[in-house]
Amino acid sequence: MTATFPIHPVNRFARDSEPVKRPKEFACFSYDANHQFHLGDASLKWYYPPPLGTDLSNGFETFDKHDDSLDEHLDSLLETIASHEKETAKSIDAHFVTWRGMLTKIMAAPFEDRDGFEMNATLYRVRNPSPSFIEENHPYKEASRRAQDAQPWKGPIPQEVMQFWGYKFETLSTLPAPWGETSRDFIESRDSHIVNNKEQYCSVVRTGLGKSVICLGGEVDAIWDCKPMIPGSPINWVELKTSADIRSDRDMDNFERKLMKFWIQSFLLGVPKIIVGFRSRDGILVKIDEIETQNIPAIVKRRGRVRWDGNTCINFASDFLEWLRQTITDEGVWRIRRKPNSPHIEVFQVEEV
Amino acid sequence: MGIPAGFRWLSQKYPKIVSPVMEGQPMVMEDGSVIPVDATQPNPNGEEFDNLYLDMNGIVHPCSHPEDRPAPKDEEEMMVEIFKYTERVVNMVRPRKLLMIAVDGVAPRAKMNQQRSRRFRAAQEAKEKEIDKQELLTMLKKQNGSGLKQQPVEEVVKRAFDSNSITPGTPFMDILAASLRYWCAYKLNTDPAWAKMKVIISDATVPGEGEHKIMEFIRSQRNSQEHDPNTRHVIYGLDADLIMLGLATHEPHFRVLREDVFFQDSKARMCRICGQKGHEERNCKGEAKKKDGEFDEKDKAHPLKPFIWLHVSILREYLNVELDVPGLPFKFDLERAIDDWVFLCFFVGNDFLPHLPALEIRENGIDTLTAIWKDNLPHMGGYVTKDGHVDLERAQYILAGLGKQEDAIFKRRKETEDRREAGFKRRKLQQDARDARQAENQRGGRGGGAKRNNRPLESDGPPPGLQLHPINNFPSMLKQSVITHDMVVNRSTVEQANVANKSAASVLKEKIQSMMAQTAIGAAPVEVNPEASAESTAEPTSPASALGKRKASLIEEDVPSPVVGSDVEIVSATDDDGPVDSVRLWEEGYADRYYQQKFHVDPKDIEFRHKVARAYVEGLAWVLRYYFQGCASWDWYYPYHYAPFAADFVDLGKMTINFEHGRISKPFEQLMSVLPAASRHSIPEVFHPLMMDEDSTILDFYPEDFEIDLNGKKMVWQGVALLPFIDMPRLLAAMDTKAHLLSPEDQARNAMGKDVLLISDAHRGLYDEITSHFYSKKQAVTKFKLNPKTSDGLSGVVEKIDDYIPHGSLIYPLERNALPDVDYDRSLRIHYEFPSYEHEHKSMLLRGLKMPKAALDRSDVEILKGKSQKSGRSYGGVPLNGRNGYH
Ligand SMILES: [Mg+2]
Repeated sequence: MTATFPIHPVNRFARDSEPVKRPKEFACFSYDANHQFHLGDASLKWYYPPPLGTDLSNGFETFDKHDDSLDEHLDSLLETIASHEKETAKSIDAHFVTWRGMLTKIMAAPFEDRDGFEMNATLYRVRNPSPSFIEENHPYKEASRRAQDAQPWKGPIPQEVMQFWGYKFETLSTLPAPWGETSRDFIESRDSHIVNNKEQYCSVVRTGLGKSVICLGGEVDAIWDCKPMIPGSPINWVELKTSADIRSDRDMDNFERKLMKFWIQSFLLGVPKIIVGFRSRDGILVKIDEIETQNIPAIVKRRGRVRWDGNTCINFASDFLEWLRQTITDEGVWRIRRKPNSPHIEVFQVEEV
Repeated sequence: MGIPAGFRWLSQKYPKIVSPVMEGQPMVMEDGSVIPVDATQPNPNGEEFDNLYLDMNGIVHPCSHPEDRPAPKDEEEMMVEIFKYTERVVNMVRPRKLLMIAVDGVAPRAKMNQQRSRRFRAAQEAKEKEIDKQELLTMLKKQNGSGLKQQPVEEVVKRAFDSNSITPGTPFMDILAASLRYWCAYKLNTDPAWAKMKVIISDATVPGEGEHKIMEFIRSQRNSQEHDPNTRHVIYGLDADLIMLGLATHEPHFRVLREDVFFQDSKARMCRICGQKGHEERNCKGEAKKKDGEFDEKDKAHPLKPFIWLHVSILREYLNVELDVPGLPFKFDLERAIDDWVFLCFFVGNDFLPHLPALEIRENGIDTLTAIWKDNLPHMGGYVTKDGHVDLERAQYILAGLGKQEDAIFKRRKETEDRREAGFKRRKLQQDARDARQAENQRGGRGGGAKRNNRPLESDGPPPGLQLHPINNFPSMLKQSVITHDMVVNRSTVEQANVANKSAASVLKEKIQSMMAQTAIGAAPVEVNPEASAESTAEPTSPASALGKRKASLIEEDVPSPVVGSDVEIVSATDDDGPVDSVRLWEEGYADRYYQQKFHVDPKDIEFRHKVARAYVEGLAWVLRYYFQGCASWDWYYPYHYAPFAADFVDLGKMTINFEHGRISKPFEQLMSVLPAASRHSIPEVFHPLMMDEDSTILDFYPEDFEIDLNGKKMVWQGVALLPFIDMPRLLAAMDTKAHLLSPEDQARNAMGKDVLLISDAHRGLYDEITSHFYSKKQAVTKFKLNPKTSDGLSGVVEKIDDYIPHGSLIYPLERNALPDVDYDRSLRIHYEFPSYEHEHKSMLLRGLKMPKAALDRSDVEILKGKSQKSGRSYGGVPLNGRNGYH
């Protein structure tokens, strides 16, 4: 039995936004430089602006790259939640537990027809409400990546180098301690630091879209000042992004299309500020912009060239998740699938308990 | 400032850094009631400010001797003046977040030496002024006959407030601290503009100079994670040096606020004899003053002296152009370049070291150094300083560069002086000729002649308004029959606070001498040509009766005395050509003569010169650290009265400099170190014998008379006071013998205090946070870390004050109740500590900074670029160690 949730026409979601609960961090974990899991904020980074003019390709040869071909499932997130539940002697009462990336794909679906996705949702009815655990269908992701790699690359700069630029920008823009506690030498030598994307800080938040309560885990790049003294207060997170230098209206259109993903990602974890490092075509950092996450939808609307709408994303996700809760009724594993360019999302059971 | 006239130089070179302050005024209604300034309204300067820092000594000093009204009668009156002045400044800035009031506490030893010199000079000057005053009054009585009533005259003679008591540890400073606490609490209770303002008072019991306590505060906030880099800072103070400190914060939203010292309003002037306006001293009849209302309110109606802004952000723009070096082999970093430039400015003058002989602000010494710096930067491999630390190898480049130009600088200086001298003489001859013709005309029955006009001196002297005359270039403006008080004792008083190391006592003496000579001649009023009056050299005249006896001694003091024990030629007394400079920097062999005469050292002892230079470099390093990181050593000081030559700095790269933190002096130790015996009333009586008694082991620290070596300068205030340095162990040992005699109150005044934070209960969140920690039933803690989210950005640790209970009544601390008590005090007082940080402060901009809008337009930039290519190269400022194609 396959249930389908129609995406189009998307204008049926273009109403006032469903209530959104401000994401509150209730736990966090870190991967160290070897991608070993640790509870706590050991890998938290502080933002400090990078030197302009830096070549983002510097250090590509020594890139200490995380191998993401292994399926990590929800392990770290679950371990962190379990520890939190033990500590507080209370269970988290969410309808869904997932990585931020999964929800991003769902929220972006109304305006991202080209890319498909496959996820697995697992339900164990152990308590009420029992959450659905949603994770990426790893084999699908691997397959689509292989397909993409098989495409001939026409750009003058290798794809891996361009992917490296983003990580390089993070290394260039962050400090392992607040500015006041970091030496000038460290700050000024960031260009020569080895880029490592194994190290991560992940925030685990509780949030809500419409009537669904969601527990989300996701990586945050850096913090602006420091975690607030009062737990649960908003945190001044910083999301770091790179983008091609804008030189034409067309560049601007592309950038504004990209802004949708930037916005969804930051919106979901409650990241208030996005720092965009603009780079030249050959990867020289030329400009830094600070963008307030909450202003992004309005900025795009005002220019009026690119059509995506934040409320539509929110309402679509909210309606979809509510529908999903009604659809996933039996224990077991369910597939959530959108085929590329498909007008709907399909949900069907792949495994019974 | 460290550099006398430095502010003037800066504002001439970089004109846009100065702009006028727009100020709201209290409104006087028809019925005489006054509507005070409503500081809750938007700031009339079109921009809001967050933090205001008051370098409080810059308010206390002028209030103790105001320029435009009589000095306060007593301490209470002075406090009321201070309240008024502070209120005016606060209303000008309208800080929305924080007001920090910092009074000088005990100073590092390096500073104490300068304080000692100033205070000894002040005491000497005061003594002489008093004698002069007495003599004048005697003369006035004779002249005005019975017209002058006796009583007011005696009032004038009344002992003036001794500004030397504005030093930590004096009873006066206690009163000041209590008064400031009261006043701030009163304002928090009554002024809605203060509702959300946090007030920090760092009184004299907290060690450190006021402006440096402020700097430390700013650094501590900057190092805190929640500091807003777009905080708008204003610092008020008299030192032009504050603009250097502003640069040193690396907070671009920074302004210095100060009185416009160049503004002169003649109408506001008052008679110096009776302290009333409406007549000049020469017409003073000495009548008792009529009071305008109970507190002389009407007196306030005179136009207030305007204030100006100094914009650090605009100076940064200028420096970005000025310090630009094209083709650097490393990345240009304006923050680092600014630090280097501040460092170079120290060479030209600072409060802790005598300036290098080759560097004069008036000769554009800063430009000379800047050119050397720019020429060498590409070859030095980096900046000379880093976060307050000197790279000695690179400092050697700069000093060697200066050393190569030194001879030329001295020669040029002499040439310029000679030319000026010749000009004076020529004009004098012309004048004499004119005078002769005029006398001829007058005999012929025709009056007239040039109009009288007391024009200030030419512009390369001290700022206009400072009527300081070279000792031997006295204007002959005193050719008039009536002696006025003004002629004898009138000197602008603000200038005292503005000009470092100035002793006008001798200037005054000269005035009297030349004046008395005129009176003795008893001539009828003679019209004087303005040019002559301003510039010509007065003939030294023989003393007249009243001052006859003193004259000889006066002259002796005005002249550099021969150095005791050295075999140099005896310096002759004043003659037509001014004091003889026996070092003669413009003639070969000057260094030998300098070291022989000033240091009493054999000219062959070159190692000694290097030793002096090393001590000097240590001093430069100390000063740099002081500005950028705080006090590296409390007992370090430069142990000579004179600076070395630039050429004496060698092999600096081989030096290592380490500072010991040292002992922070206690207030009484500082008082004993800096005050002369004449100001002993500010020191507990038990110590007086140490300053007075023949058998005191430290009597030699308190000379009654001391030499002032003009050291090649023309003005006494530019001279070097040759006071013995305090030998700390000997001082402490001597004080130890008396310490047990101190009263408990005195002992309390000698203790170290803490900063105080005051807030109103209208600052709801913060007030609740503090009261719930300290005064709730639990009362578990006595100390906690402020949450910057509730404190509106302030980081730090607060501590309960033991004997303080909130919600009490606020009692006016002085006698006459100039301000009321408040029955229910809505303010709250706690101790406050700056947030601590382990790492040094870095000269970097903070993330999230939004640069102020550019103030310089393209043409400003082009003009400056053009100028800066040429500036500072008049003595052959060529690259020295140029390896890369410079010729
Ligand atoms: Mg001071």
